[in-house]
Amino acid sequence: MSLLKGTVLAQLLEHPAIWRGRSAARIDTLSTGFRALDEGLPGGGWPRIGLTEILVPRHGVGELRLLLPLLAKLGEASPPRWIVWIAPPFEPYAPALAAHGVRVERQLVVRTETPLWAMEQALDSGACELALAWVRRAQPRSLRRLQLAAGRGRTPGFLFRALTGAREASPAELRVLYEPEDAGATLRLLKSRGGARTPIGIRWEDVDGAA
Amino acid sequence: MARRDRAASDRRALVARSAIARGVRNAATATATGLQLVQGDLGLAVAPAESWIALHLPGLIVEALALGPRPGSRSASGPASGPASGPGSAPAAPLAVFEAEGGMPRVVAVDAAARERGVVPGLTLAAALAMAPELDARPRQPRRERALLARLAEAGFAFTPRVSLEPPDGLLLEVRGSLALFGGVAALCEAVQARCAALGLAARLALAPTPSAALALARAGRGLAVTGSERLVGALAPLPLAVLRWSPAALARLESMGVRTLGEVLRLPRAGFARRFGRGTLEDLDRLVGRRPDLRRPFVVRETFRGRCEPSFELEHHEAILRHLEPLLADLEGFLRSRQAAVPLLRLRLRHRPDPGDGSPRVTPLELRLAAPEFEAARFAALLGEHLARLVLPAPVVVLEMRSGELQPLASQSGSLWRAGEHGGGAARESPALIERLRARLGSGAVYALCLVPEHRPERSWQVAEPGLPAASAPRVAAAGGALAAAPGAACRRPLWLLQAPQRLEQGIRPLRLLDGPERIETGWWDGQDVARDYYVARDAAGAVLWIFRERLPPHAWFLHGVFG
Repeated sequence: MSLLKGTVLAQLLEHPAIWRGRSAARIDTLSTGFRALDEGLPGGGWPRIGLTEILVPRHGVGELRLLLPLLAKLGEASPPRWIVWIAPPFEPYAPALAAHGVRVERQLVVRTETPLWAMEQALDSGACELALAWVRRAQPRSLRRLQLAAGRGRTPGFLFRALTGAREASPAELRVLYEPEDAGATLRLLKSRGGARTPIGIRWEDVDGAA
Repeated sequence: MARRDRAASDRRALVARSAIARGVRNAATATATGLQLVQGDLGLAVAPAESWIALHLPGLIVEALALGPRPGSRSASGPASGPASGPGSAPAAPLAVFEAEGGMPRVVAVDAAARERGVVPGLTLAAALAMAPELDARPRQPRRERALLARLAEAGFAFTPRVSLEPPDGLLLEVRGSLALFGGVAALCEAVQARCAALGLAARLALAPTPSAALALARAGRGLAVTGSERLVGALAPLPLAVLRWSPAALARLESMGVRTLGEVLRLPRAGFARRFGRGTLEDLDRLVGRRPDLRRPFVVRETFRGRCEPSFELEHHEAILRHLEPLLADLEGFLRSRQAAVPLLRLRLRHRPDPGDGSPRVTPLELRLAAPEFEAARFAALLGEHLARLVLPAPVVVLEMRSGELQPLASQSGSLWRAGEHGGGAARESPALIERLRARLGSGAVYALCLVPEHRPERSWQVAEPGLPAASAPRVAAAGGALAAAPGAACRRPLWLLQAPQRLEQGIRPLRLLDGPERIETGWWDGQDVARDYYVARDAAGAVLWIFRERLPPHAWFLHGVFG
């Protein structure tokens, strides 16, 4: 692939009508809005379909900032669908979301003690552009169900978990370890189909305008 | 029976006579129902496009009380009615129905016995009781009146599919297409009259080419059947103006002008009439004589689905109950599909094995409310499954009963070629389904949407909203509420997470490092929930960025209010 870089053949192979088998097939992705992260992730962004796990030291350390560009972009989709917040640790503060360009009226908050069940319903329904869930514990089996539901509903799902989850196996498409920094964060890809092996540093100011 | 035979023979005689009298300018025929047939010249008139039978029920208020046959009650408020009271039955106390409208109870209807004693509608109840101390006074039952009228309307479908209600005491049937089937005007009117009598209603009938004219004739009690349009004005002319039910003020003004009958009012100059009484009143007259189309709202039969299942063994588990409900739900879907309808509500009653102690029946009611009317069995089953799973059964279930809510016309949607989200497929069906499913398990308060409120107080600048996806074309809400829009720089100083209630920082701010602030928010004095706070952005030892404030009033406590996610 690298040998072909810049040649006419490489451009031809980029054409969506050309199918080259699974190994080289491009993963359908959503831009993260951070250039450094886009470059580090396989396919250039968050997986379009399937489960992404973000492992955080604790809730409320900036993990939401990571998804803000995505929330703002998906909120513009037409016809409108929900962006579901399942068992968020605090109240999502609507004025701040609006200030970051997120469409407040398309956010749906679900308060529940069984976030995995609600997540499965949301992913499966097809009524959601995106589903976010904050969970304490998750068995690999229930994660497998979520992964399948996301595939059926063709919906991206983001799961925020504690760092302890890093030791457990997971069927998620992508697993990211999140470490907060002063004005940004460092991300390590625990599991990905290709993608950077080194930590990815991002700064909140670096949000692409065209995300 | 004897009366009926006599009436039928009368009719035959009169029909024969009318055939002889056809040459007369205004051929009039009396029928068994007391109906006079007014035909066009020489019977050669062009048949009008519509023929309306109006039923006027002068005694509905009394009849709705369902007191059974009462002597003289048939001729309640119409002296013109035929001999209906059965002689020989014991005289009951005179009856008056009263209505307490605006405090003073007034008599609205009376029976013949009360009328003999001088009690007439319009009297106060106290005055009526003074005139007839033995008066049987009962409150009016408007709901029963409406129900009785609706029953009559349903019976009207035996004669024509075009039935419309004329509340409070009238009904209209369009019978142009039914005349041949029922053997002419006289026979049809007789059949309608018989159906009214079967329901215990005394009706006055009239037939005319326009619904308003039929009603006017019926209210006047003339019992005319006008089959030719050109005879209509002549038939209406002698009627008193009160049959139009115009406002008392308008009637009084016409009276003062010396205009007392419909013929006189129809002769008035149109322009002047419209100027004095309004265009609407002139249009009423135009509709009366057929110069203007008169559209009537058709009566729709309200139906509900009822299903019942008695399983051969007692059901102890909700899955078994759901399995037995599935055939009922399939029936419901068929019922709804054939009517192109959907229901927003489904009621279920689970009858349990009777209490072993006292044998009293035990029933668990279950109500399924849907965000949008639904007709598909699978959707009902999925939601009922959630509800049943939460249910604790006090005893095994022996009988399942199901009743649907009111039917609503199905707003048919074309199935989308694409699934939701694929190539721009919408989520019009999926969105209510998801919300109902989540709410069925978690309760309706656990699922909500957000909305902005233009307020400076941070905890009040957002609100919980009922989830409903805006239309794709809905204009984008201003990027921030009014408070933030005014100060664009402040927008980024708001945290993404807000605590449900500010949490007091017991140790003060020693473990924290202040990054930014203060930002003073001092507002809300007008509703007693005023705040006076200095907000700061601070970082704690673990690296989380917090939004904290200090009360401006003593004891100047520190609170945590938000987290910059």
